[in-house]
Amino acid sequence: MSIDAQDHDDAETLDDQDEESKNRVQAWAADWIRNPQKAYAVMGVFMGGVLLATTLFPLYWLFAVAMAPPGQTNIPLIPTEIDLYAFVDIFQQVPFARYMFNSLFYATTVTVVVIIVASLAGYAFGRLNFRGKLPLLFSLLVLSWFPPATLFLPLFRAFNQQVKMLGLFMLPAEIYGTPGAVIAPLSAFTMPLAVFILMTFYAQIPDGLEDAARVEGSTRIGALFRVIMPLSAPGVATAGILTFITVYTEFFFSFLMTGDAASEWAPIVNGVLAFQSRYTVRYDLQAAASLVAIVPVAILVVLAQDKIVSGLTQGALKE
Amino acid sequence: MARVKLDDVSKSYEDVVAVNNMNLDLADGEFITLVGPSGCGKSTTLETVAGLTKPTSGTIHIGEKEVTNLPPKDRGIAMVFQNIALFPHMDVYDNISFGLRLRDFPKDEIDERVEEAAEVVELEGMLDRMPDELSGGQRQRVAIARSIVRDPDVFLMDEPLANLDAKLRVNMRTELQRLHKQLETTIIYVTHNQAEAMTMSDRIAVINGGELQQIAPPLTCYNKPSNRFVAGFIGSPSMNFTPATVREGDLQADGYSLSYDTAAVEGLASREAVEIGIRPEDIYLVENESEAAEPSTRVEVVTDVLEPMGDEIFVYLKPVEAGAEDGMGSVEEREGLLMSVDPATDITEDQTVEIVFDRARLHLFDMENGNAISHGVIQGAMMDTGPGEDEAQADD
Repeated sequence: MSIDAQDHDDAETLDDQDEESKNRVQAWAADWIRNPQKAYAVMGVFMGGVLLATTLFPLYWLFAVAMAPPGQTNIPLIPTEIDLYAFVDIFQQVPFARYMFNSLFYATTVTVVVIIVASLAGYAFGRLNFRGKLPLLFSLLVLSWFPPATLFLPLFRAFNQQVKMLGLFMLPAEIYGTPGAVIAPLSAFTMPLAVFILMTFYAQIPDGLEDAARVEGSTRIGALFRVIMPLSAPGVATAGILTFITVYTEFFFSFLMTGDAASEWAPIVNGVLAFQSRYTVRYDLQAAASLVAIVPVAILVVLAQDKIVSGLTQGALKE
Repeated sequence: MARVKLDDVSKSYEDVVAVNNMNLDLADGEFITLVGPSGCGKSTTLETVAGLTKPTSGTIHIGEKEVTNLPPKDRGIAMVFQNIALFPHMDVYDNISFGLRLRDFPKDEIDERVEEAAEVVELEGMLDRMPDELSGGQRQRVAIARSIVRDPDVFLMDEPLANLDAKLRVNMRTELQRLHKQLETTIIYVTHNQAEAMTMSDRIAVINGGELQQIAPPLTCYNKPSNRFVAGFIGSPSMNFTPATVREGDLQADGYSLSYDTAAVEGLASREAVEIGIRPEDIYLVENESEAAEPSTRVEVVTDVLEPMGDEIFVYLKPVEAGAEDGMGSVEEREGLLMSVDPATDITEDQTVEIVFDRARLHLFDMENGNAISHGVIQGAMMDTGPGEDEAQADD
């Protein structure tokens, strides 16, 4: 404290305040230096906040759009009224449930096909030794690098016309516009990743367990589905979810290989676009439909997350 | 209930021969142990019987049926694994009943059989536990229950006790013997532990380098090993081996000679050298000379290291320093001898003692191929040659 400021009231208070705030900042800094985890905690909360805001805000914005009356282009940050009728309306104006069913059907079927076929492949690659294993695995990897779009034209032609495949056989019927035209290519595109994931997990199951299952009376395939797969639950769940979400959100093939109407096996994207006519666009209904479309995936992730955690905590894989 | 027969079974992986022309013939209800060092092919042999590995050549019969190309599930076998291999995602009940459920047994019968099996291995009241809640011994008992519940014709056990601690291992050993008596099922048991092999089995099959060395009752393997490998492998501590030159009327070993009626053994006199084998308990201190059936001449040696075991003392012996003069090489080149003596014996390290060998327990082996030439031939009459004991001597 300076001598000339001794009798000066204001000066003294200012000086005091300054000192105090400086001390507080210093103390704060010193505290953080001593306990770095406090700094990390603050940073963690901050980063988490940013992440949540950036991921959740678009969803909130969709909700705000869905609440706005039809035709309104100026969307307030906070909806003026909460009117959930848009969520009912979407099912009345178009067969939105059917569109959803179509997409869910594609996703479920492809997931089942991929898990079964990729399990067999993952078993072979992960647990057996055979000639040509590496080249085969590598070609699978290369295949997964192909942009699916490049395969669209040949597939489109093959599905639309009776083409002689490799000059050997013809597809029994035109499959364009049927679920097969979506399920077949998408199963192929999602297969390599699933094979790699399952291969890694299946390779880690001790041989003894498979031998035990075989001696006890199951076949190799029986052992795969009864012992190896249940013990690889986290891997199966991961591969399954990735496949499901990829197919459910897939646009290109499911849009182009089917008609526009729900009854023609059109996917959910067609359902959202159906609220758009030549002269009007019902943004509120499109937003509501988009939100509803998210629900199945959200439920699945929450459920499967539980599965993954339980699979990991089982911890009985060690031998 | 079945006999098991292996005819010329071979298994090779690319250029490695794991099992070479294995011939085994097991009687119904027999407890047979395959024993040998790690990597000798004993587990591979078991796997070919189980059907987990297909033999490259040869045939396998279980009962009257040829099973060489049948999958494991159709062979009427049960197996207990070294790593126990319980299914970690199933409780004890589901583990034991796995095979029955696969075969669509009615629920009542499954319950009944599981209960019965659990009783045999003393696991009552634990059927709803998960494997990771059990101790090592309990897990092993679950594995055994899982194998007996199906009433298999043959039990295969691949080092089932190897992962247990020493005390539990001895307990389980007696439990397995009790079980065998109770079930009277053919058991093929694989181990590298020769104590397990000696105590449990009706017959031991000693395997080395993928080849059967000898198959005989435990004591025959011990007393009349078919070759040097069996002699060294069976018995702990292992047999002493010393090369010796054959002279008329005696064997000249390293620094000492043993009087031996070389003419009594066919073909011995025509050999130049043989390998002498003598077990540690067949070497005596001079003061206990009377315990030996056919004491040899005395040999002077120096004690080296003592290993008191409680019930006996193992004494490592080295030749006396002045040994070089016999022209058999320097002291360092000679292998020491191991002798076991009574724990009450007054003996210290670096003490010069006189020992005798029991010539009645002397084994002679061929220098080249290690095949046995004779076992304590002087005693002759006491070592009767039982039928079939030498049936499986290794080929040269």
